[in-house]
Amino acid sequence: METLNELLGGFATAMTWQNLLFAFLGCLLGTIIGVLPGVGPVAGVALLIPLTLNLDPAGSIIMLCAIFYGTQYGGTITSVLLNTPGEASSAITTIDGYAMTKMGRAGAALTLAAVGSFIGGTIATAGLVAAARPLGEMGLLVGPPEFFALMVVGISLLVALAGKSMVKALVSGALGLLISMVGIDPVAGAPRFTFGIDNLMDGVSFVAVIVGVFGLSEILSFRRNEPTPVVHAPGFRQLFPSRTEWRRSAPAMARGTGVGFGLGLIPGMTGSVSSLLSYATEKRFSRFRHELGKGAVEGVAGPETANNAHANAALIPLFTLGIPASPTIAVLMGAFLQQGLTPGPSLFTEHSEIAWAIIASLFIGNVLLLLLNVPLVGLWTSILRVPTPILTAVILVFMVIGAYTINFSVFDVYVMIGFGLLGLALRNLDIPLAPMVLTLVLGPLMERSLRESLEISQGDFTVFTSRPISAVLIGLGLLIICSPLLKLRKPKALMEDPEA
Amino acid sequence: MTTESVTTKAGSTIRVAPGVLAGIGAFAAVGVYVLVSSVGLGLWTSLGPGAGMFPFAMGTLLVAMSAVWLLQELRRPSARGAGVDKEVVISVVTSLVILAAVMDLLGFQLSMFAFLLYHLKIRGRRTWVPSLIIALAGSVGAFYAFNYGLNVALPVSAFTPLNLIGL
Repeated sequence: METLNELLGGFATAMTWQNLLFAFLGCLLGTIIGVLPGVGPVAGVALLIPLTLNLDPAGSIIMLCAIFYGTQYGGTITSVLLNTPGEASSAITTIDGYAMTKMGRAGAALTLAAVGSFIGGTIATAGLVAAARPLGEMGLLVGPPEFFALMVVGISLLVALAGKSMVKALVSGALGLLISMVGIDPVAGAPRFTFGIDNLMDGVSFVAVIVGVFGLSEILSFRRNEPTPVVHAPGFRQLFPSRTEWRRSAPAMARGTGVGFGLGLIPGMTGSVSSLLSYATEKRFSRFRHELGKGAVEGVAGPETANNAHANAALIPLFTLGIPASPTIAVLMGAFLQQGLTPGPSLFTEHSEIAWAIIASLFIGNVLLLLLNVPLVGLWTSILRVPTPILTAVILVFMVIGAYTINFSVFDVYVMIGFGLLGLALRNLDIPLAPMVLTLVLGPLMERSLRESLEISQGDFTVFTSRPISAVLIGLGLLIICSPLLKLRKPKALMEDPEA
Repeated sequence: MTTESVTTKAGSTIRVAPGVLAGIGAFAAVGVYVLVSSVGLGLWTSLGPGAGMFPFAMGTLLVAMSAVWLLQELRRPSARGAGVDKEVVISVVTSLVILAAVMDLLGFQLSMFAFLLYHLKIRGRRTWVPSLIIALAGSVGAFYAFNYGLNVALPVSAFTPLNLIGL
């Protein structure tokens, strides 16, 4: 009952015209980012942080959350119409989505994807409401050793699932942690790795790093004379699925919700994994599995429901334990911290009103996205007709503004350029970028909890093994990292997760 | 975008790509530098871990992983990827560096206008009218939108004459 009252209070805050406008703008921008091939959700959310700099904390996070799950919707449009995923978690949708387009059923595919996304996202948000209080209370029992161990598990999972080589994923994770250590040491007050540069005393701007590594490196890997795609938007009448298509989609949406919600709770799992496993579930359980790959509605409805359920469920570990479950959530966490909000159990005690307003806005955002996506499909596809040089130039403007406005310093623009080149090198060396982003955000928290733990125990490392929760978590983390040595192979599909 | 490395079949005679060796060498060098610097920062104090302990652990990890990666490459070299379009990289990076260098001096509007015009007219080979419209929108339009719409201050020119005319 108390949770319901708090949620209603959250709705009261989220339904103010300013916050509704922020949610609407976030959904709009998120969909555009999702539609644009090349600008992924990580860089997209990071480079739009400056837009929210002067907003109040609730409005700022509402807008950024809307951008985040707007990208999930937008990525579907290019998958279905162009056979090109706008972002990684929609990659699997290309198989049946594009096949449906060739059959003249693009409109139905887009509507089913949007409705599935709405259902998955809404149910996952309801899960967040249900889990917030009990998990938050449990989170209050977590001390520095458990917190450190929890982060070890999260990073281990991401490293284990990122790309095809765990060695390269560990290199990426170590790099992120090293970058996060630049600046004044929080305990001793000594400068670390600043090379005498005053601008580095406060550390490296994570927005500049992320925009560089994810966004600029993507633009640098473009090739000259990339053709502008030819795309035809379905007419309004073509947007309505047939009764049979609705009936066949319902069980796929239900299964997709279960898969996405379950995997969204696990740190390190990306939306791509959810959509891939949802597709695999359809291949196993759907009555029409023989049609998968040839334009089956289940191949669109299942994965699209799963990736949105995942996106919303991934906010549960962030809100309740302060653990970002994916790179994009890590960027969101950075935005929380910039607004003076610390995600985790204390969020519900210190900033209860803001926390519940954000949760309420997730429901509103899902409705807005449903209303925006289906009728405006023509508008979204018109973005795809913009020539690449114009899109590139406009994106570069936002990147420069994004990097500059974090500290109002040109130095951060140089940082972005430097990390853009680093990102390009990492891409060419086939090193996954996701672990680096996660460790970049988690690094300071991880180090602080490690040092607090060792100060409590007066330097005794057994503090991590003498407490049952942290012992289990550290053991689990080690097991995940050592799994290749123990020949515990991960499924092939996960090894090729493009998001990682 | 993903960059997929295609590993060669065992027994193939492909040698390790110089770029990969350079990458491994660079990571190992960073790791060694971090290790040495960490010791200077202090690994342990009377209160517990020092400022250098965590970086020391990461430096060790980086060096160890670079060594393992080198061994993996020697056993089974990665095939060369598609590479990059050097012209794109040079033109984008150079133009961004110049933009950053002159932004505080000329102000956001003038420097961004020139930057956009270069990318649209010269690199993108668009016609004059759309190039000018987009360049104006992305420079002057963005400046006013951020400064007055979002209260986020973008730099104005350090030159008084330019400043006086609102640039």
